[in-house]
Amino acid sequence: MSGNPYQNDRGNKDASITNPHGQGTLTASGTQARAMPGGDGPFLIGDTMTGGYGKTGPDILHGCTIAVEKGEIAVIVGPNGAGKSTAMKAVFGMLDLREGRVLLDGEDITQLTPQARVRHGMGFVPQTSNIFTSMTVEENLEMGAFIREDDFRRTMEQVYELFPILRDKRNQPAGELSGGQRQQVAVGRALMTQPKVLMLDEPTAGVSPIVMDELFDRIIEVARTGISILMVEQNARQALEIADKGYVLVQGANGYSGTGKDLLADPDVRRSFLGG
Amino acid sequence: MDLLNGVVALSNFVLIPAIAYGSQLALGALGVTLIYGILRFSNFAHGDTMAVGTMVTVLATWGLQAMGVSFGPLPTALLAIPIGILGATALVLLTDKYVYKFYRAQKAKPVILVIVSMGVMFIYNGLTRIIIGPDDYRFADGERFVISARTFRDMTGLQEGLALRTTQVITVITAIAVVAALFWFLNKTRTGKSMRAFSDNEDLALLSGINPERVVLVTWLIVASLATVAGVLYGLDKSFKAFTYFQLLLPIFAAAIVGGLGSPLGAIAGGFVIAFSEVGITYAWKKVLVYLMPPALEPDGLVQILSTEYKFAVSFVILVIVLLFRPTGLFRGKSL
Amino acid sequence: MRTVLLFLAVACLILGTGFLQSWNSALLILNMGLISAVMALGVNLQWGLAGLFNVGVMGFVALGGLAVVLISMPPVGAAWQAGGGGILLGLVLGAATVVAAVLVWARTSGKLRGWGTAAVLLIGMAIYRMVLDPSVAAVEAVDPALAGYLGGLGLPVLFAWPVGGLLAAGAAYVIGKTALGLRSDYLAIATLGIAEIVIAILKNEDWLARGVKNVIGLPRPVPYEVDLQNDPGFVESAAGFGLDATTASTLYVKIEYGLLFAVVLIVLLVLSQLALNSPWGRMMRAIRDNETAARAMGKDVTARHLQVFVLGSAICGIAGAMMTTLDGQLTPGSYQPLRYTFLIWVMVIVGGSGNNLGAVLGGFLIWFLWVQVEPMGHLFMSLITAGMADGSWLKAHLLDSVQHMRLLTMGIILLLVLRLNPRGLLPER
Repeated sequence: MSGNPYQNDRGNKDASITNPHGQGTLTASGTQARAMPGGDGPFLIGDTMTGGYGKTGPDILHGCTIAVEKGEIAVIVGPNGAGKSTAMKAVFGMLDLREGRVLLDGEDITQLTPQARVRHGMGFVPQTSNIFTSMTVEENLEMGAFIREDDFRRTMEQVYELFPILRDKRNQPAGELSGGQRQQVAVGRALMTQPKVLMLDEPTAGVSPIVMDELFDRIIEVARTGISILMVEQNARQALEIADKGYVLVQGANGYSGTGKDLLADPDVRRSFLGG
Repeated sequence: MDLLNGVVALSNFVLIPAIAYGSQLALGALGVTLIYGILRFSNFAHGDTMAVGTMVTVLATWGLQAMGVSFGPLPTALLAIPIGILGATALVLLTDKYVYKFYRAQKAKPVILVIVSMGVMFIYNGLTRIIIGPDDYRFADGERFVISARTFRDMTGLQEGLALRTTQVITVITAIAVVAALFWFLNKTRTGKSMRAFSDNEDLALLSGINPERVVLVTWLIVASLATVAGVLYGLDKSFKAFTYFQLLLPIFAAAIVGGLGSPLGAIAGGFVIAFSEVGITYAWKKVLVYLMPPALEPDGLVQILSTEYKFAVSFVILVIVLLFRPTGLFRGKSL
Repeated sequence: MRTVLLFLAVACLILGTGFLQSWNSALLILNMGLISAVMALGVNLQWGLAGLFNVGVMGFVALGGLAVVLISMPPVGAAWQAGGGGILLGLVLGAATVVAAVLVWARTSGKLRGWGTAAVLLIGMAIYRMVLDPSVAAVEAVDPALAGYLGGLGLPVLFAWPVGGLLAAGAAYVIGKTALGLRSDYLAIATLGIAEIVIAILKNEDWLARGVKNVIGLPRPVPYEVDLQNDPGFVESAAGFGLDATTASTLYVKIEYGLLFAVVLIVLLVLSQLALNSPWGRMMRAIRDNETAARAMGKDVTARHLQVFVLGSAICGIAGAMMTTLDGQLTPGSYQPLRYTFLIWVMVIVGGSGNNLGAVLGGFLIWFLWVQVEPMGHLFMSLITAGMADGSWLKAHLLDSVQHMRLLTMGIILLLVLRLNPRGLLPER
């Protein structure tokens, strides 16, 4: 039972009067639409973030710091329940931060709503429900470009060049595509805003190893165009191989961090997280 | 000749009325389905929204008639529809601002909104009865028939007549135009697509920068217009009575669910399925069968499967049958 | 404490009616309030305890009313002779057709399935109509001005109350079995539809309960006023209270009704409270609050939902039977969803969903307002129109529309409560 009586539906699941499909679950912590001037530092940094869900929820993150430079790939790995996705959500403003701040390109965006962060150049690909299943591939991309007033056909062309299969399937409903293709649509949709930073929450969850390798290749390509990538990954080894920077989270705090190669070579990390 | 007579009788008593009624139901069901897809609840006040829109149209029609304005052979009400739409839109938007908006901000569960819509239904119903009264009003004027039964008989020499009422023709033409416009809007315009996106995945729509309040506003605008048009067409075809419009809720819901709630195509299909079954099952088929059957087999009864009073039962039975075999409705519903 | 105070407040309202208007109207409000409270109890069981959305209360209430006719009216012998057997046979054949169709559907496959089932249905329907129609016509031809139907069993009317519950429960079982058994539940639309069907049957099947010709003069469980007025003992004791015989007799009859209804309400309320706090009630709340966990613990959620739905509907049926008994007549034309379905919902929501006492309180309070809004509205409109010229069109219109104020008021009350106090006057603990 939730405390809010308006959210108490008494377990009613009557399909003839209520439609739970696609209902919003997004929780936003920030309230502002304008960013404050920040300071120098990395391109994007979630600095010593401490907090949890809701004003009263227990802390999940404890002084966690995540940063990524322009055009680099940063990967967050760690055991289950370490708060990987939570850390990413905190950077994106879906978590109530008690301490710490988030800076993007010299601006303090800690108080911004997720929507405002999108307008400030952050692209976010959630782990699940990350495409409009009933709309065609092309419409998905168009919706990605919804905030843009200028001509976005060039960006769409770039997405099609990055993911050629999407061009062939552009008039198909995205829900009919395979798992790997769906992820391409999801990434493509986020790229349509021309973000400065692209955040991916387990982009390879549930896809085959071959598709995973291909997805990683594409992600490297995206990073080469100057877009910073922040990514949470379950497949730690493969992800660290392409990472410029890696963060190993342990119970909501930074366990180890360093370049991807360093972490892969670190015997402690290998023993605890990479299975030897 | 007998075959022709039979076909004419069938068209006159079953096909034409069912097509007209189906168009009216389809327009009503479209409104329900849009609310269901975007605001995610079934709007119990929809029948009364139709009543309010129609009431304003009727009042405006009377005003126009009093001023001596007429629309030639067409009903004056067609001129008054924009005023009706304006009235319904104003009321619906006020309701949204002072009632529904609060619950959206609270992220209320859809079933709470259903209960809220019950309250709105009471209010609209009361308003309609207070303003225009609970009685039956006919407001169709102009030429009554495009082809009357007698003309048709004289023209063709057939025994059976085929009457085509002006209101029926208007209903079908208007319905086609409105539906075409709606589909064009939903599938081709940026705002329409953003509505579909919002219906499909609210979170992702927010992340794409789609403004939910704008989507909701446009939805109410469309719904109020659809409701008014559906209500006026129904009223022209039959008559305007507050209670009848409230009762239309059941066949409209049934149509929307049969078609697959949340699917506009489904709403249209559902409207016609319900209308054809209602008219078909409550029609006395004797008139048609005497032409089609050899004289030896001619039925002596009326061959009416159910009396017309059971027409609501028919929509319900069709609904149950469809749901038993296809729980998602004819067209997989849920998002626009 | 809050409970006691609120109930006292409602009692004051009703007593106030007695002092200011008349004791007859106060008792009338009280009696219908008792019945409304029972209905609200039924809906609260479904919505409050299990989250089931029943918008067909009207249908169950009407079935309860039908039970009164079927139980208490004397059988019409001539009608039974004319076509009673035929009608019964027809109904059996109709049921057999449905069963046969279901069997054909279940036992066959492929093309045969669809066509076979359709054929069985078509042939069965034809035979059913051939048997039923002449009998119905014969029955309806028997003294149509007074009878024209089969009549009832001629049993004491109080029997009709539990039977009304059973009728409603039976209908609820069929609906629930169908609508809750589907992959996702479609209870709301199913109940909305069945309510209309029940009313349509009552209106059209004249052989059953005379349709729109109404059955009047139903037997009563309490004495008739006329008999009381002719009873010297009663007149004497009435005089002892300083009342004339006519007033005293009407009051006496209403009080007796009220006592009967109060007994039913109290019994049902106690049972509901016991059920709420029993292991069964805890399980229901567990299912409501976390269906997934309840399923994982091996609870058969669908069966439990069906159970609650049937119980709640039965309570509505009992209330319907009580109401028809109080009215002394069954008038199918007077059943309207706003009054018999949605008003009950207002009672439950205003009283407090999930709280049985709340539902009872809501029943009394909303019924009181439903009755009293009209005189209040009249006063209000008189004030507004006081300045207008007599005979002006607007004044007449406004005064005429007073009777529709109650719908508006109910809507506003519902919205206000939902907005300001969504848990209701007496929140669930």
